Amino acid sequence: MLIRGKVVKIGDNIDTDLIIPGRYLQITEIDELKEHVFEDLGEVLREKITPGTILVAGENFGCGSSREQAPRVLKAAGVSAIVAKSFARIFLRNSINIGLPIFVSPEVVENVLERTEVEIDTQKGVINVLHDDKNYYFDPYPEFLEELVGMGGLVNFVKSQVNKHKRRP
Amino acid sequence: MGKTMIQKIIQRASGKEVKPGDRVWCNIDLSTARDFAGPNCVLQFDKETEGKGKVWNPDKIAFTFDLEAPSRSEQVANNQKLIREFAKRQGITKVFDVNWGIGQHVLLEHGLVKPGWVILGTDSHMNLLGAVGAFATGVGNTDIVASWILGKLWYRVPETVKIKVTGSFKKGVCMRDLLTKIVGTLGAGGLIYKAVEFVGPTIEKSNLAERITLCSMVTEMSGKIGLIQPNGEVLEWLKARAGEEAVELAEAIKADPDAVYSEEYEFNVDDLEPMVSAPDAPDNVKTVREVAGERLDQVHIGSCSNGRFEDIKAAFEVLKAANFKIAPGMRVIITPATREVMKQCAQAGFIEKFLDAGVIFTNPTCALCTAKHYGTLPSGDIGMSTTNRNFIGKVGKGSHTYLASPMTAMASAVRGVITDPREILG
Repeated sequence: MLIRGKVVKIGDNIDTDLIIPGRYLQITEIDELKEHVFEDLGEVLREKITPGTILVAGENFGCGSSREQAPRVLKAAGVSAIVAKSFARIFLRNSINIGLPIFVSPEVVENVLERTEVEIDTQKGVINVLHDDKNYYFDPYPEFLEELVGMGGLVNFVKSQVNKHKRRP
Repeated sequence: MGKTMIQKIIQRASGKEVKPGDRVWCNIDLSTARDFAGPNCVLQFDKETEGKGKVWNPDKIAFTFDLEAPSRSEQVANNQKLIREFAKRQGITKVFDVNWGIGQHVLLEHGLVKPGWVILGTDSHMNLLGAVGAFATGVGNTDIVASWILGKLWYRVPETVKIKVTGSFKKGVCMRDLLTKIVGTLGAGGLIYKAVEFVGPTIEKSNLAERITLCSMVTEMSGKIGLIQPNGEVLEWLKARAGEEAVELAEAIKADPDAVYSEEYEFNVDDLEPMVSAPDAPDNVKTVREVAGERLDQVHIGSCSNGRFEDIKAAFEVLKAANFKIAPGMRVIITPATREVMKQCAQAGFIEKFLDAGVIFTNPTCALCTAKHYGTLPSGDIGMSTTNRNFIGKVGKGSHTYLASPMTAMASAVRGVITDPREILG
């Protein structure tokens, strides 16, 4: 899978309350909820998030609660992938489960500048900076997770497993 | 090579020999959702199964209503109703409604948690159930929905960190202070995707409330689960609630003597002093001495980390030592974890004394873990709480929170500023 977009950078320990404040979590419509993404971090950041954005973050991105709305609002707001030095466990899992591709690459975080256009090859584990053709590498997903993300997330994967079992003689 | 507790648990649940880094599908023993994310789980399940789906096993699913209990808006009321109707439709009988308290604690008290079990919940502090040797994890609604369809979920087998604790707590110092010290030492990302085993003489003689506290903030270090081998009075308590099988399961998950750990730490509590997490991060750790005298507007005692009877009793002892007087203008809220804890407090005569002192003693809920609750802080106010997170604006935009033990929280309520409880306890 190839993902192409412009980089928006953000810092360390960005918690789920900063991604989507808890005060809005009784809203069940994602299109309504996405209007509040990064609300407490100000308009400047929010205006940078446009369709195709590749979010590049520091350490422990997505720490805090288990709210799946955090990766969902990012995806709904236009984030096509996230690259970070590290991810909080639950956020990482939730992102994979909803089909939001996320990758660990400290080198990208250290070296790639805001608004740079990059292309991610998820199978090869390569992030290519388009303007200077520089490559950075990450561990690609194992086959099972690549398939899971490619199918749009866990539920589609699970349903395919259930159907497979149903079809068996 | 020997196996850690988490390896033994995942091996049992997956039916496979496992090592750290392996990805396996595990059978789920209990899948739970609360009133907060539960409605999204229900909506997603019905959408994915076109409203005709049946859950894989209604006996292995539970709902808990603990975040907005009772509901305070039409939206929340409708969300909770959605869960009740879904449960009825699916034949799910384990529904702990708004009158019960914090989900994990209620499940424990009802004997629905056993050592070695694989448990899911839509709460990032599910892993406090590691206090009785259960592998419980907080997950998003997609994981819950997948488990309702399949009865299984994928896991990556984590490496394990061993934390050994020795020594005895001095008066005014408790397990929460140790936990805060550990969070400060390891940091917010210190346990990313790792399991922890808490061991050592201090742990072996600890009670259930202390173990819950210790396991409750593994999430704040990005850990997967904190596990404690059930023994002594905790094992007896489990046996009484969850039956004889709990004892057999506890034995089956014991770490091997030659188990391999990725790191090992040792903490001695003999000279530990009261600690706080200062605003705005759980790992912004300081001694109470360093921040003593800082003004506070509100104090909250409760939560899944420190809402047991023993926690409230510790706060009561501080208030008693201060002749049941709270600083003028100080707002103090105490929230027991469960109905059972509330009854214990009533039987011990605490509630009347708290009320006479001006404390707001609430029904059992998750309470001030997040904004929109009774006691939400206004902008500019500083709170102190025994909850587990103090991210900026978490309990009110523009507010800030210190995290502390029940004793430090009550001592600070008595003086109106951050106070070392040893000054009051003598």
